[in-house]
Amino acid sequence: MSRFGAKKGNRAPGAEFTWDADPGGVPDTAPTPLYPAYVVPWARKLSEKEQSEVNHYRHLRERFHEGPYYSVLDTSSSSAKKGSAARANFDPFHGMPSYSGRYQKKRRTLPKIANIGREYETRYFPRELWPTIMPNFRPNASIDGFHAQTALAGMKRGFEDDEDEEDDTAKRRTAGADEDEGEGDADEGELLEGDEEAEEEIVDDDFEDDEDDMGGDYNAEQYFDGGDDEFGDDGFGDGGGGGDEDTY
Amino acid sequence: MTMSQYAAELCALLIEDQFGDLFARIFTTLQRYERLPLPRLKFYSRLTERQLHHGLAAMIQHHLVFHFTSLEDGNTYYAANPQAAYYLIRSGKIIHLVESRLGEYAARVMETILYLGHVPIKHLETLPDLRYLAPAAPNGLVKEEEPEEEQEPQELDTEAGEETNGANGDHAEEVLQKPAPLHSTLKALASHGYIIRVKDAHFQSPEDNYIEAHKAASNRSDIKMLKGKRLTEELLQKTEEILRERTDGDLSEGLMVNGLPRGVKRKIANGTSESASKWHQTDHNGTNGNHADDDEENDWSEDEDGFDNIPMEPSLVLRVNYEKLDVALRNARFVEMAKDDAAPATAEVYETLLRRIEYVTKRCRDTSEIPREGEEGEQFSIPIETYKIVSDVDPHLDLSGCMGPLNPASASVNRRGKRPLENGVNGDNHYEDEDEDTVDDDVSRAYEINQHLQLLEQAPHNLASHVRLSDGIKWRVGFRGLARKLRHLELERLVEMRYGDVALRVLRVLHAKGKLDEKRLQEISLLPFKDLRQTLASMQAGGFVDLQEVPKDAQRQPSKTIFLWYFDPDRVCSSVLEDTYKAMSRTLQRIKFERNLRRDFLDKTERSDVKGNEERWLSEGELEQLQRWRDMEAILLGVVSRLDDMVAVFRDF
Repeated sequence: MSRFGAKKGNRAPGAEFTWDADPGGVPDTAPTPLYPAYVVPWARKLSEKEQSEVNHYRHLRERFHEGPYYSVLDTSSSSAKKGSAARANFDPFHGMPSYSGRYQKKRRTLPKIANIGREYETRYFPRELWPTIMPNFRPNASIDGFHAQTALAGMKRGFEDDEDEEDDTAKRRTAGADEDEGEGDADEGELLEGDEEAEEEIVDDDFEDDEDDMGGDYNAEQYFDGGDDEFGDDGFGDGGGGGDEDTY
Repeated sequence: MTMSQYAAELCALLIEDQFGDLFARIFTTLQRYERLPLPRLKFYSRLTERQLHHGLAAMIQHHLVFHFTSLEDGNTYYAANPQAAYYLIRSGKIIHLVESRLGEYAARVMETILYLGHVPIKHLETLPDLRYLAPAAPNGLVKEEEPEEEQEPQELDTEAGEETNGANGDHAEEVLQKPAPLHSTLKALASHGYIIRVKDAHFQSPEDNYIEAHKAASNRSDIKMLKGKRLTEELLQKTEEILRERTDGDLSEGLMVNGLPRGVKRKIANGTSESASKWHQTDHNGTNGNHADDDEENDWSEDEDGFDNIPMEPSLVLRVNYEKLDVALRNARFVEMAKDDAAPATAEVYETLLRRIEYVTKRCRDTSEIPREGEEGEQFSIPIETYKIVSDVDPHLDLSGCMGPLNPASASVNRRGKRPLENGVNGDNHYEDEDEDTVDDDVSRAYEINQHLQLLEQAPHNLASHVRLSDGIKWRVGFRGLARKLRHLELERLVEMRYGDVALRVLRVLHAKGKLDEKRLQEISLLPFKDLRQTLASMQAGGFVDLQEVPKDAQRQPSKTIFLWYFDPDRVCSSVLEDTYKAMSRTLQRIKFERNLRRDFLDKTERSDVKGNEERWLSEGELEQLQRWRDMEAILLGVVSRLDDMVAVFRDF
C-alpha cells in the first residue's frame, strides 16, 4: 500500500497494474483471494439402502403430486380474470397458451376433495368442513345455527359463501354424474376435465377476496362495473363498502 | 407445540415439496399464529374460503392439521401438526424398513396408507393396485425366470424341515395373478404395530387431549372425594390413564402368536429371508437370492388360505404409527452399531434380540422430551430368555464361525468351525447337520448365542446386558443409556470432523472430568498450551465448550478470576439439533433452486405425453440430463435423510 514499501523494491508504485509486463496478454480478472482456502466437503455416495430409501421417498412424492391434493397457489395464465393477481403475474413469454401446452402438466389451485373415489370418515372432520367433503350434504337447521355463530366476524362474507358453496355443490353433483360415467375414459378426457376445473377455480380465484382485504379502499376495477354487480347494493350497504360510496 | 424457526421452516418446506404451496401457506400461517378459527385463518393467510375449506379438509385427511371444536363457543380451532409434517421426510425410510422386513407387497400397502393419510380397510380392498401381488409391469419378467428355479425351492424347503407347501414353484405363476393377501398383510403390519387404529384424539393436538383428559379425570366421582396432595397425585395418574386410553390405537393384541407377530415366524424358519447367511446361499446356488422374494410372497398367500382367513373388520380406519416405527428405526441403528465392531453373526443375533424386544416396546421413551443428562435413570427393556432367541435366530446362521472353539471335542463345532470362503467342502456337512436336530445342538446353540451377546455386553458400547435368574440367563437392553451413548458419539463425530482429533481428546476429558481450569486441563490432556488454547477457542466459537468465570473477589479482576472450561452435552445437543434442522431446510431449498434452474426442461419431462415414455420422446442428451438431475436430487435427498438420522438421534431416540 505505502509508497515507502514500493521504494525498497525496484518497481514503481502501481507497476503491478500496468499491462506492459505482458503486452497483448489478457488481464487477470480473477478475484483476489479474500478468504482462506476452504475445503468443500463432498457428500459420500449413497449406499444401496439409502438409494432405495430415496427412491421410495420420491415414488411416494410422485404419487402425492399426481394425486388429487397437490395444489399450487398461482397458475398464472392469460385466461385469468382481468385484474386478478393471477393475471398480473402472467408471464407473456412462456405463459401464452400454445398447442403443445395441451400436454403440459396442469396444476390445480384447489385440492380436489369430492368425487375422487375416496370416502371420508366424516366423524373425524369438523362440522364446518362437512359440506366440502360431502358434496351432497344438506346442512340442516342445527348446522345453520352453528354457521351463524362462526360467521360473526364477517356477516356479509359468510352469507355469500354459503350461496357460493351451494352453487358449487350443485354444479359438482351434476358434474359428478358425468365423471362417474366417464371414469375410465382416455387421457384426453381427463385433460379437458382438469382444464375446465382449473379455469373454474381461477375464475373464482381472489378478486372478491382482494376487495374484502382492502376494506373500503378505492377500487379502480370496480369503478365502471360497480353498478351492475350483483352484490352491489345491500353488500355495501352495511358498512364494508362505505369508501366506495364516496367515490361516486 | 412451539417450534424453533428452522424446524418450522423445514416443516413448511417438506409440505410444499410433497403437497404444493397451498398447503404450505395454510401450515405456515397456523404455525406462526398457533391455533386459529376459520375466519382468523382466512384473514391471516389471505386465501379464499374455498381454498381454505378444501385445503384444510385435505390436510386433516393427512393429519397435517389438528382441529378442535370447543364445546363452550362452538368454534372450531385449527392448529398445525409439526410432527406429522416432519415425518414426511421419513416416509422413504419407513417404506424401506417395511419392505426389508415384510416384503414388497407389505411395503406397497404401507405406501398406500401413507399416501391416503388414514383409510378404512374397506377402501383399501377396492384399490386396484393392491389387488395383485406383483405390479403389472414386471410380470412378464418374473414369469420367465420362474421355471428355471422351480426345483430349487422345493429342496430347500424340505431340507429346512418345514411344512411349507411342496408345490411351491408350480404355483408361482398363479400367485402373481391371484388376489393379494391384503388382510393377512394388514394383520402382519398391525401386529408389528406399524399401523394403528385411528381415534378421535389423533385429530386433536396433544395439549387439547391433555386438557380434555384432565377435565374428564377431575369429574370422576372417586377423584372428587380426595383432597390436597393425594388429589393432585391421583388426578395426574388418572389423566395419564385416560389420555393413554384415548390415544392408544394399538391393534397388535390378539394378533400375536406366542409373542411373535404374524408373518414373521415362517419367514425366518424358512431360511429364505434376506438374513440367510452367506454360506447358506453359496451352498445352494447363486440364483437363490433372486428367488427369495417370490417365496416370501408364497408364504403370505398360504397364510390366508390356511388357518387364518378371518378378515379384519372392514370399517376399521388405519393410519401409520410413527412412534412404533421410531422404535424399529432405533433398533436398526443399534444393529448398525453392533455391525461396526462385531462379526456379522453377532450382529444378527443382536438383531434377533432387538426384534423380540421391539414387539413389546411401544415407543422410544415415556417422556415427551429427552431428559437432561444425568437426570435420566436407566430403564431396561423387558428381559428376553435365551431359548427364545435360539428359536428365532435363523437356523442356518453360522454361530461358531467367528468365536474361538469352545470345546474341541464337540463334533458340531469341528464341522462348522471354519467359515467356508470356498464352498464345496462345507456343503456336504451341512446336510448332515440338518438331519440330526438334537437337543444337544440346541443347548450348544444357546451357549453360543450367550457368548455372542456377552461380546456385545462389553465396553465400549454395552449394547446388551444380562440378568441371571434361577431359570437361566435373560438378556435385556438399556435403551436410555444407549440412546445417550448415540448422542455422545454423534457429537464426538462432529467435533472430530470440524476441529480434529486434538479437540476430540479435549472434549472427552472435559466430559469425563467436568469443569476444569486450563492448567489442569492441560495436565490431563497432555497437550502443549498453544494447541490447547487454539482448540478451545475454536470450539468455544463453535459453541461446543463454554467458559465459566469464578471471581475470587468482588472486583472481578481477570487476574483474580478462575476460568473453568466445561462441556454441556444437553446444550450442545439442542444447538446441534437446530443446526441440523437448518441444514436440512437449506438442502431442501437447494433442491428447489436447482429444480427451478432446470424448470423448462423438467416441465418437458413432466408433460403428459412424455412421462412414462421418456426413451421415446427425449433425445439422448436430454435423457442424460434427466439422469444427471435425478442423481443429483438423489444425492441431495440422501443428505437430507442422513441429517434426519441425526435428528432422530438427538430428538426421537
